[in-house]
Parts: sequence; structure tokens; C-alpha cells
Amino acid sequence: MSSGYKPDILWSPHHADRYVICDNELSLYRIGPAGSSETKAGALPLSEETAATLLAINSDTPYMKCVAWYPKHEPECLLAVGQANGRVVLTSLGQSLNSKCKELMGKEFVPKHARQCNTLAWNPVDSNWLAAGLDKHRADFSVLIWDISSKFSPEAVPTEKVRMSGDSDSGPVVTKPLYELGQNDACLSLCWLPREHQKLLLAGMHRNLAIFDLRNTSQKTFVNTKAIQGVTVDPHFQDRVASFFEGQVAIWDLRKFEKPVFTLTEQPKPLTKVAWCPTRMGLLATLTRDSNIIRLYDMQHTPMPFGDEVEPTIIERSVQPCSESIISSFAWHPSAQNRMVVVSPNRVMNDFTVFERISLAWSSTTSLMWACGRHLYECAEDGGQGSAAAEKDIATKMRERAQSRYGHDTVQVWRNHLLAGGDDPQLRSLWYTLHFMKQYTENVEQKQQSNKQSLIYSGIKNIVKSSSGTTETRRCWSGSDRQTDVPRYHSEERSLALQLCGWISRGPDIDVEPFLKSLEQEGEWERAAAVALFNLDIRRAIQILHKGASSEKGDLNLNVVAMALSGYTDEKNSLWREMCSSLRLQLKKPYLCIMFAFLTSEPGAYDGVLYESRVAVRDRVAFACMFLNDAQLPRYIDKLTNEMKEAGNLEGILLTGLTKDGVDLMESYVDRTGDVQTASFCMLKGSPGEVLKDPRVQCWIENYRNLLDAWRFWHKRAEFDIHRSKLDPSSKPLAQVFVSCNFCGKSISYSCSAIPHQGRGFSQYGVSGSPTKSKVTSCPGCRKPLPRCALCLMNMGTPVSSCPAKADEKADLTRDKKLAQFNNWFTWCHNCRHGGHAGHMLSWFRDHSECPVSACTCKCMQLDTTGNLVPSDSV
Amino acid sequence: MDLHILDHRLRVTCISKSGLEHYTHPLIKLIFLRNRTRCKFFSLTETPENYTVVLDEEGFKELQPSEHLQVEGSTWLPLNVVSNGNASSSSQAVGVTKIAKSVIAPLAEQHVSVFMLSTYQTDFILVREKDLSVVVETLVEEFNIFREEGGESVPVHSQDACNGLQRNGREVPHATVHPVLIPENQFCVMSLDPDTLPAIATTLIDVLFYSNSPKEGASVDQDMECIKFFSFSLIDGYVSLVMDTEAQRQFPADLLFTSSSGELWRMVRIGGQPLGFDECGIVAQISQPLADSDISAYYISTFSFDHALVPEEDIVSVTEVLRAQRKDMSS
Repeated sequence: MSSGYKPDILWSPHHADRYVICDNELSLYRIGPAGSSETKAGALPLSEETAATLLAINSDTPYMKCVAWYPKHEPECLLAVGQANGRVVLTSLGQSLNSKCKELMGKEFVPKHARQCNTLAWNPVDSNWLAAGLDKHRADFSVLIWDISSKFSPEAVPTEKVRMSGDSDSGPVVTKPLYELGQNDACLSLCWLPREHQKLLLAGMHRNLAIFDLRNTSQKTFVNTKAIQGVTVDPHFQDRVASFFEGQVAIWDLRKFEKPVFTLTEQPKPLTKVAWCPTRMGLLATLTRDSNIIRLYDMQHTPMPFGDEVEPTIIERSVQPCSESIISSFAWHPSAQNRMVVVSPNRVMNDFTVFERISLAWSSTTSLMWACGRHLYECAEDGGQGSAAAEKDIATKMRERAQSRYGHDTVQVWRNHLLAGGDDPQLRSLWYTLHFMKQYTENVEQKQQSNKQSLIYSGIKNIVKSSSGTTETRRCWSGSDRQTDVPRYHSEERSLALQLCGWISRGPDIDVEPFLKSLEQEGEWERAAAVALFNLDIRRAIQILHKGASSEKGDLNLNVVAMALSGYTDEKNSLWREMCSSLRLQLKKPYLCIMFAFLTSEPGAYDGVLYESRVAVRDRVAFACMFLNDAQLPRYIDKLTNEMKEAGNLEGILLTGLTKDGVDLMESYVDRTGDVQTASFCMLKGSPGEVLKDPRVQCWIENYRNLLDAWRFWHKRAEFDIHRSKLDPSSKPLAQVFVSCNFCGKSISYSCSAIPHQGRGFSQYGVSGSPTKSKVTSCPGCRKPLPRCALCLMNMGTPVSSCPAKADEKADLTRDKKLAQFNNWFTWCHNCRHGGHAGHMLSWFRDHSECPVSACTCKCMQLDTTGNLVPSDSV
Repeated sequence: MDLHILDHRLRVTCISKSGLEHYTHPLIKLIFLRNRTRCKFFSLTETPENYTVVLDEEGFKELQPSEHLQVEGSTWLPLNVVSNGNASSSSQAVGVTKIAKSVIAPLAEQHVSVFMLSTYQTDFILVREKDLSVVVETLVEEFNIFREEGGESVPVHSQDACNGLQRNGREVPHATVHPVLIPENQFCVMSLDPDTLPAIATTLIDVLFYSNSPKEGASVDQDMECIKFFSFSLIDGYVSLVMDTEAQRQFPADLLFTSSSGELWRMVRIGGQPLGFDECGIVAQISQPLADSDISAYYISTFSFDHALVPEEDIVSVTEVLRAQRKDMSS
């Protein structure tokens, strides 16, 4: 309720478009869409869409302290006004008055001793009852409940002298209240309890919140608290009450009324209004004095009823309905969701809707869901025709790649890019790089046992750095007797780099012909021609171009290029050179462009080739290895490496190798794409010592495993784990479960692993593939029998009867066989500790949810939360 | 019934009539400029003898010591009785009468000196801080005692029940019977919305500080027909006024709150000589017979004398009761 003369707002309980502003008079407004025919010229804009029209003004009641709107439909627009002297007056606004209303109009309810009326509340059920809370008087009650239908009763008017009152009111006066409560006490705020309409919650002086039951007024429950300035019941949760004092709001649970459930963080300024949102559960709005923000507390996530120790979570935020001016008061709209009208001290009004926080969740299968207000939106990736235009989400890609066993081809490593779909040039480059690296490692290992591996996986950047003994040659153009002055550099490291680039194959000879052949096969005519040219075989280049032009779907322009090429002259000032260097920039194909760049450049100044970003990194690096001297080469490689690292371009792995630099590069790649799958598979090939220990790498691997789990690709995840443990033995998990003997308490598996020739783990318990003679049905420690299977009643260790015949049939690991192996394992419920052969248990729980042991009622299957989930991948 | 020991530490002071002009500034500040002081408890009572000012320590800082200011040495704590609900809702008697038997009489028996201050809103019983333990001991059986500290009410328990009552050892000879004076003027007890205090400021200043000027010649003390009595208090934001009908006519009628019946009160002044602060049982002497005859009363102690206000229609019976009492005592 307002105090002083700051305006307050009241929504009509029944007309969603009417409200009253009260300051020193009452003004009724109707709210409507702005600019509609209904709104008149004098309409006040409240927001971009809405405007308010003043319908009526009532200034009959001075010294207003509080106002309450009659809750029933009829008579509508009946208001009770509490005045500074404690009188309560019924009044109305702008309605055609029916007889009932006329009778009530102007009726006054006068307390015995005058003092300020602080608060008014209509009973929600017995709407004749109006409770008024007054300041204290030494000899009077502070809560008076008036019956507005009670007759004007002259006998109730004090018979004593009326010397003091001095007023000659025309309106009928009622002086006898229905109930009087709270002697010697001020009532600052009160409300009726919506659940039991005869109960009244009072906030009073002497620091009490009290609940009175009108059926027995001597009974009251009360609690001592500071927070007594205002009370308000949550309309959605009728046992929840907010009360405030100065800057503090306390939230109470009426069922546990001894102390506040919690208090909200204290505001520096005193609060002036606290109100629950009527359209949204658990949303409390508070306003402090001289403030331009409304603070909202969302108790949505508060568990009810509260535990004693748990501090409930509340989300606090603030809104600023009108930017510049301070807010005098606000009122929630009774029906429109999260809407309120605020009013400033100079009566500027503002229509405002509080936006819900949007909560958003990604699913692991590329759908996105968000909730706003009462709406839930789902957004799924459109896998339809538009997919050509829009690239698929990385999650979809990874899922598809996981299904196609991407990353698992460890023999022909380059094939992994085909498993990934074969349409990503970066992945293609990456897997080829890894392929060449692997090839070379194997080669070296075959030849000598020296540890050259670290050098290989460290990439061209490090290889080139260690380069020494470079020789320089000047070769003729092959197929031409013209001398070139193009110096070419050779060294062991440079040819190694060329191998990694894929230009030359392993072996001592540096012949690019196989590479050219493979390029021709793939129809990469321009690239092949460029490689041939860089190997100073201009005739071969022209041949290739010619072949390209005459091939199926060939580009006839290639003939033109071949013609241009054949006109090559090393004359410095020739017309050919001049024209080529200017016209080459118009060539669309990058490889054609760099061919002419090479031919027209000065020796050692090949920027036109080296910095042509459309050309594959491996080709540029190979070129650099051939034509840059020892000073230029490392500089160029370093520059390119940094460029790749920044861009997260996987082609750069060629330069960095699987080193710390490579992890940096991969980090920016993952940052860019989110592709932890490629990162995991790639880095697993790195040296276990340094790279795999990097926390970033571990993070990618763990995230990829989680992702697989989230997709329910459990078999894929297991496969990945196996793959991982092969490459990184340190990742093998330690045994986490041990089976101990009931009698001696020793671990069965442990004790048997200590015995030689017995293999590891459970192998001798009939688990190993072959029908073994060393079946053990007793504890190796104490020779006591192992427990029996609850279904077949055989001791554990006995193979499942139905399986052995099948197990003998085939040697390969079919699905049946794998399962058959597992059938012999034993398993048990962690709750009732009954169990038996895994195969028996599986088939039992396919049809039952209860434990197979007859006296046991344990619902084992329901306790297993993941037991009912089906993997979404196949073995 | 609850007894609250309020969170105010009060001083009782007295400003002589002639020295008032030295104190008008702090008094006006304390009355009208609520936001400028941290004083939460202020009461000013004008009697023909002097001005009694009761105020908390924050307010006391405003008063400069001088020859015109007399200060009672001890710190006083206000007590407040809260009938939580229904206990005496049927009884018509209010104010001091209501608590006469439960508080006043037991304290008098324990020789605890009390200083009464009734307002429109409630009755305060001031006791010396040093007497507090005795007060708690005495009243703990009858009341739930709470001490208010920083806005919270903390239950108070008797420190040591088996300690025995540490009574005020002073054996005071049986209470002297004080003469009473019943002036002719009628009084009203009123309140005011603190927000409208500025509206009556000039009137209030006029009544408080300039009331003596026109009748300078007439010796008020001798004029027993009417005595000058005006009390203003501003306690925890509540205003209370006690004035005679003559002063009341100067105020705008619609701003002051009073009972709808417009009840009027008559005054009984207790004491022929200034009473001092050490004598106990003075309030009990008056309140007990009133309680016996179920007559409600206000009671306002000042520096020199005590004042009881009783309903106008009961003044005859009060006179008789007191006369009878005096006969009993003297016989």
C-alpha cells in the first residue's frame, strides 16, 4: 500500500483492461492498443503498443492512505478507501450505479479512536467483510473487521457528547465492527488466507506476524520477526508468504511458521512494495524507495517443502521498466502473463512485460530446445534438401563419422578421410599427412632400430630446422637444352620433407613420376602440371595439360594454357613474360596461376607461389623445400606454421607434426569447429610421452567418450577405448571391481593372476574361448566352492550349459560367440546380492523385474537405471 | 501478557521556564525535523513549574548543559505492556489502571521507583537501568519478558532464580500520602499523522513556547482553577498530544485524531512539594484505587509532580475514592 502521496496502482480484479491510480484522488484508466479507433485523442501512450484512456476521477476522499478494490463482479468498481484518520469510506468510480451500489456508496466505517488506517483487505469469500489495519492506540484494537452490509445504526452512534467530532457527514456511519483484533498493537499490513477465508494474517508492531482465526479469536499463532511492514500471500502457493521490513524480504511457509524459510538479500534502501506475480509461479517483484528498477526473485527452483539445511536457490535479477524516471509503484496485470504497469511519482505510466529468462539446452543429437514463458521451442537440424547449402552441424557429422568407423583404419591411414565423408580438404590433408608420417616411421623402423620416430612426428618445421649439408644444383629444363638459372636445393631432410608432402615416395631416388601418375588418375590436371613444372619438366607439364583437355569432361582451356606455357622464354624483357605476369592473375585455377608465377619470378623471390593461399599447403611446402635456400626456408615455414596455428587449419599438421605446436594448432581447430573426434584420433597417434599428457588432449578424448556415451554408442565407445589403449598404454583403466571369496575374503581374480600359466582375470572360470579343462568352481585361495547361480543352481565357474556346442563351431568372433563368452561371467545385484551367470540373468530379467531368488522381493532390474537403455549403435 | 523492555536509553531532564529560550533551537529540531536527528524517543511536557523533557541519548546530545537544565542522574529504560490478544478485551478500563495490579503494585512493593508516561498510543513505564534486574525478577512470573535489541525481541529470563530477590534494600517508611490537586480545565488526548506535523507547526510553536506571554501577570500557581498543562511526544514516529480544550481550539479540527466519542479528561495532580525520583509507590497510590473502581486513566509523570488523567464523567467518584483513601491513611 502506498504511504504519503506517491501514486499507487490497482488493477481491477475483473476487467483486465482497467486500473486505478491513487494519489490524492482516484483516477480510473482503461488500457487499450495504441492508435486503435477505441482510444481517443487524449490517450496516454504506455508503451509502443498500448495506451491508457482516463475514464473517471474521484476526489471525494482526501487523506487517502490505502485503497482496496471490491473482489466480486457486482457491484464492480466499488472501492474501499482507508483514510489518515482511520475512517474507511466506500466509494466508486465512473460506473452507472445500480441500487445495491448506491446504498453502499459513501458509507463510512469509523473506529472508536482516530489513527491512521494502514491497510485494507476484502475477504475473498465473504465479500461483505472488510478488514482494516490501523495504527496503535492504547485502548483500542488495531484490526477492525467491518461488515459493509451492516445497517447504519443510530443506536451504535455514541450516545455521549459529540463535541469533538465536529464533522457533519451526510453519509451513513457505522461504528460497530464485526470483529476487533489486536489490542495495544499497530497493524501495518494484513491479508486473508486464501485457503481458509476465516483466517487473517496480520503484520503488526511489537514485531509479530500473527494468524487469527475469526471462529475463535482467542486462538492465534504468531511469530516474532522484524519483517512486518507488509505481508502478501503467494497466489500460486498458498502456504507461502512474503513479508518485508526496511530493505529485507522474508519468505515464510505457513506450515512451518516458526522462522522464515529464507530471507532475500537486503537492499540498501527501504522497500515500498512487494508483490507476487499472479500469472507466474514463484515470481516475486520488489521495489525500493527512489529506485528506477524492479527487482525480481524467481523461486521456481525452490524445493518445497524445504529441508532444514538446504539453502534454496533463488534467481535474482532486475528490470528497468522506464529508463529515466524513478518508480513510485507498480502492479502486476491480473491475467496477462508477466505484465505490469508502473507509475512514476509524477504519474507517468508505463506498460511493461517482464521477459522470462530463456533457458536453452542442446541435445547431443543436434537439436536445440529452449523455453520462454509457457512455450517450449524445439529446433532440429534440417537434414532435407537444403543440406547442400547449409553445412551439417559438427555433431551430426561426428555421429555419422562414428558410425562409419572414422579414425579406426590404422593400416591405410589416409582412408580415414574417406570414412569421414571425403569432402573435407583439411581432413584429407590431415590423414594423408599422418599416413605419410606412419609410412616413413615404419620404413625407418624396418631399416634401423634407431629412434627416428620423434623426428618424423615432429613435422616439417623441425625437420627443416635440423637441415644441414644442403647442396645446390642448377638443372636444365628437361626436354630442352636451355639452361636455367633456377637454383634447386637438396638435402636429406629436404627429401624427407618432400616425402611427407607426398611428392616423392620412399626410397633414395627422387622421382615424382609416380605422384604425377596418381594425380593424372584423379584428374587433377592443373596440380599435376604444376608439380611437373616445378620439377623443371616443362614438356611433361604441357603433356599433362593436353591430356587434361582431351579427357572426358576436359576443360579445353587447358590447351590454351599449354600453348601459353610452350611459349616460355627466359628472356627477361620479352613480351611473353610481361603478358604472363600480368594476365596470370586473371586465371581462376590457382595451380595454373602459380605455374606462371614461377616462370615469371626472379630466382629466390617466389612470393607469388608461396603465398597463394588457394594452393594446398603441402604443395607450397614442397615447392619451398626445393627452391628456397637455407635462410629463407625456415623463415617461410615458421611464418606458414603460425598462420596455420592461428587459423586452426589442419593442413598445418604437416608442418607442426604431433608436437606441442600441433596441439596448439589442433586447439584452434577445435575452437573453430568443435570436432573433438578428429582431434582425439589424431592426437592418439602422437607420442604418448608428451602430447597425450597434455591436458587439452585428455580433455578432447574425454569429451569424445562422453559424446559417444550420450549418443548411446556404447560399443563405439568401447571400440574407441580399445583403440586408445593400444596407442596409449597408460590410458588402460585399472581394475575397479574385484570379486572376493565369501569365505577367505581374498580376491578370486587376484589370487589366480598370481598363478603362472593361468592367464589373467576370469579366463580360467570357463570364460576363455576354448572349452577349458581348468574350470575352477572353487576359490583358489581356500578351495571353498564359489556361490551358485540363482537360476541353474550350479556353482559359478561351471559354463552355461546351452552354450559350449555353439562356441566350438566357429573360430571367428561372431556376435553370438562374444555373447556366449559373456554368458559365463557372473553378475549380481548390488542391492540384494543375488546373482548368477550373466546369460541366465539377462534372460531372466528380460521377462521379470524381480529377483529370481524365490524369497527375495528385490526389484533388481528397476534399480538399474541404465539397464533399460538400449544402445543405439550395433556391435 | 508480554512485557517489552524497549530499545531506548532515556534521560529525564527539566528546563526552567526562564531558560526556555536557550533551548528552543534543539527542541524545535527534535519536534519538527525528524530526519535531522536520530532521536527516537522525545517527550516534552509543560507544567506551570517547568518543562519536563524525556528523551533518548541521541536527543540528549542536542541539549547543552546550563544552569537552566536539570538532569536526573540515572538512565531510564521504558517498559511496555502488551496484552497479546484477548486478556482484558472485555474490560473497559485502559491505561495505567489496566497495569496497576500487575506491574505498578509489585514494583512499588519492591521499592522500584517508576516514572510513568502515557501517550495516545500506549503507556510507558520508565524504570532506572540499575533497577532492571529487580524489575525482571519481580515481573518474570507474571509476564513473558522480552528485550528489544536492534529490532529483534529477545526473551529475557531471570538471571538466577535461586539468587533470591535482590530487592532494593532501602527500607522506606510507609508511603507518605501526597496531597492532590484537581484543576477545573478539561483535557483531551490526541494524535496526529506525523506527515501533517508541518501543517500545525506554527500553532504548536505558539502553544509550546509563547503560551505564557499573555498571562504574564497572573500567578499560575495560585490560580488553582485551571493549570497550564501541555504534553507533546514523538516516540517511534508516533505523535501524541495532551492539551486542555482551550489550547485544542487553536488547532485545526480535522488534522487531530481523537476518539469518535470525543471523550474529555480531568486531571488529578499529585504532590504538594516536588516529589523527587526516589520515592516509590506514588503511582500505585493513585492507580490502585482507580483500578479497584475500574476507572481508566492516563498518567504522566513530570520532573516535579505526577499527573493522572481520568474520564470527565468519573471525576466525582475519583475525588471520593481519593478522599476516602486519605482518610484511611491518616487514621
